[in-house]
Amino acid sequence: VIGTIAYGLTIGGIFYIISIGLSLTFGTMRIVNFAHALVYTVGAYVLMVALRSQIGFVAAAAIGIVATIPLAWAVERFVIRRLYGQSIDYAIIATYAVLLIGVDGLKWLFGATPIPLSDPIGKHLTVLGVALPVYRLVIIALAIAVFAGLEVFFRRTVVGKVVVAGLEDKEAVRSLGLSVDRYFSLVFVIGSALAALGGILYAPITTLHPYMGFHVLLLCFAVVLVGGLGSMRGTFVAAFALGMVMALTGRFWGPAAETMVFATMAVVLVVKPIEV
Amino acid sequence: MRLSQTTLHRLRRIDLLLVTAAFLALLPLLGMQRTTDFIIFCVYVVAFDVLYGHMGRLSFGHMLYLGTGAYGASLCAAHLSENPFVALAVAISAGAAVGLLLGPIVVRTTGACFALINLAFNMVGHFLVLIAFAHWTGGEDGASASFSKVGPLDVGDRQHMFVLALASLVGVVWLVRRLTGSPFGILLRTVKEKEERVGFLGYDTRRHKLLAFVVSTSLAAFAGGLSTLNYTYVTPSFMDPTRNVEVIFASLIGGAGSVYGALVGGVTYMTISNFLPKYIERWEMFLGIALVILVFRFRAGLWGWLVARVAPRRDSGLGVQP
Repeated sequence: VIGTIAYGLTIGGIFYIISIGLSLTFGTMRIVNFAHALVYTVGAYVLMVALRSQIGFVAAAAIGIVATIPLAWAVERFVIRRLYGQSIDYAIIATYAVLLIGVDGLKWLFGATPIPLSDPIGKHLTVLGVALPVYRLVIIALAIAVFAGLEVFFRRTVVGKVVVAGLEDKEAVRSLGLSVDRYFSLVFVIGSALAALGGILYAPITTLHPYMGFHVLLLCFAVVLVGGLGSMRGTFVAAFALGMVMALTGRFWGPAAETMVFATMAVVLVVKPIEV
Repeated sequence: MRLSQTTLHRLRRIDLLLVTAAFLALLPLLGMQRTTDFIIFCVYVVAFDVLYGHMGRLSFGHMLYLGTGAYGASLCAAHLSENPFVALAVAISAGAAVGLLLGPIVVRTTGACFALINLAFNMVGHFLVLIAFAHWTGGEDGASASFSKVGPLDVGDRQHMFVLALASLVGVVWLVRRLTGSPFGILLRTVKEKEERVGFLGYDTRRHKLLAFVVSTSLAAFAGGLSTLNYTYVTPSFMDPTRNVEVIFASLIGGAGSVYGALVGGVTYMTISNFLPKYIERWEMFLGIALVILVFRFRAGLWGWLVARVAPRRDSGLGVQP
């Protein structure tokens, strides 16, 4: 049982790290950024390539995150911002197109066969007689650290406060003479970098394959909906709750794990409908 | 070349004949079997376009409703009746039932929420037919279905199937055209433009949106049922969530918001996907790049482009509302 709980918290932590970017783009622009899944996948692939040259996991992870920043910036600048304000549907379709192009590119370069990665720490910690991989505990700790960092960022710094205000009422912030869009694109890049981090952290637990982003994106979207649109704390709670749902379902019936997450989402939507 | 109002009016009056003639003209080019595939896909695109083109709701999970119809027809053949018309009726009712079940959750939302909630339910449906109900659906291998003759009609015969599919398409085109030309259709387009104001006028928008949603899911399920009759088997790929981009692509390339645009889009997409993969190795990349071009440069689609050349007036009634 402890192993399952730890697994649930690990997945929850990864969900949280990936969902931040989605929650921010969704909360501010009402756009679902499918390219988020591409950033997640590319981060993991860059990590895999970087690890081949025998540098440490942390250095490889840093390379993976930095490498995705130009990609995220380009998606924001040339796809989302150009279509935003014209039609949300076109923006969604265009980011999906970017995802298709990117995924096919990865398939071209690395093939479609899943690539396993080994646990970068490899040690186990025994808690109440259950051996838990230290790596997973590190992920949980990292997720909490990211949450704490973002809390400070959004409540203490000027940039963070502008973004929070923009989530509430974009027009009001703009009428104060602040260019909200510039702040949002900064936050967009931060969110994407965190998605890359999520991909990097999750890669050693599962395997790498070009389509790894599709499912995760949808699961994280469920997290965003359950947590409440644009609510950062809600996203944090929902991520761990749905992570537990997935881990507990997976313990009894593996293939149903993802479906249970969506079923939970459906129940939440029935109880607390979203009208946007 | 520009056509006068009277010519347009005359052409519009015989549009069902023109649609029939167009598909008959495709017969010698494509062969019987391919043309039937094309026609069934067109039914699906028209169903999708009721939501996307007319009501402005982009569903990223319409394969769920297609698959519901496909499995509905196959399960009907296995357990209830081998009569193809009963199977089609079961398929349509299954689509309507799923629409009524999910509609109340889905139609409240717009934009990204609508798109992705549909996709999430599509994933659930795919899981159900692939794993949870594998005992009945045949899981990954799918299930075959056989249908009996009804009077002179034998759906196992290519020619008969072609006639049935074409008649279905013409019926669906007629129905959707009637629907979108009616006050109900105008209401849907108004919902697309500005939903709040429709509410101000005193209309219960949610009920109308639900109705449009159920019409779309039922018609998509009808297309699914037809494809089960056509292929006589069904596999989980009929519900594959990653295939949703196909119908979106078809709708965009044809021109959303017009039933004729949906037909042009359906035929164009099927032509591309049937003949180009032989030459294009990177199929997903090609689709992605084409989608980017459509979204940035070619929003009216082929039909909208043609209409702008031939009948630039807004009230031609052929138009595409991008």
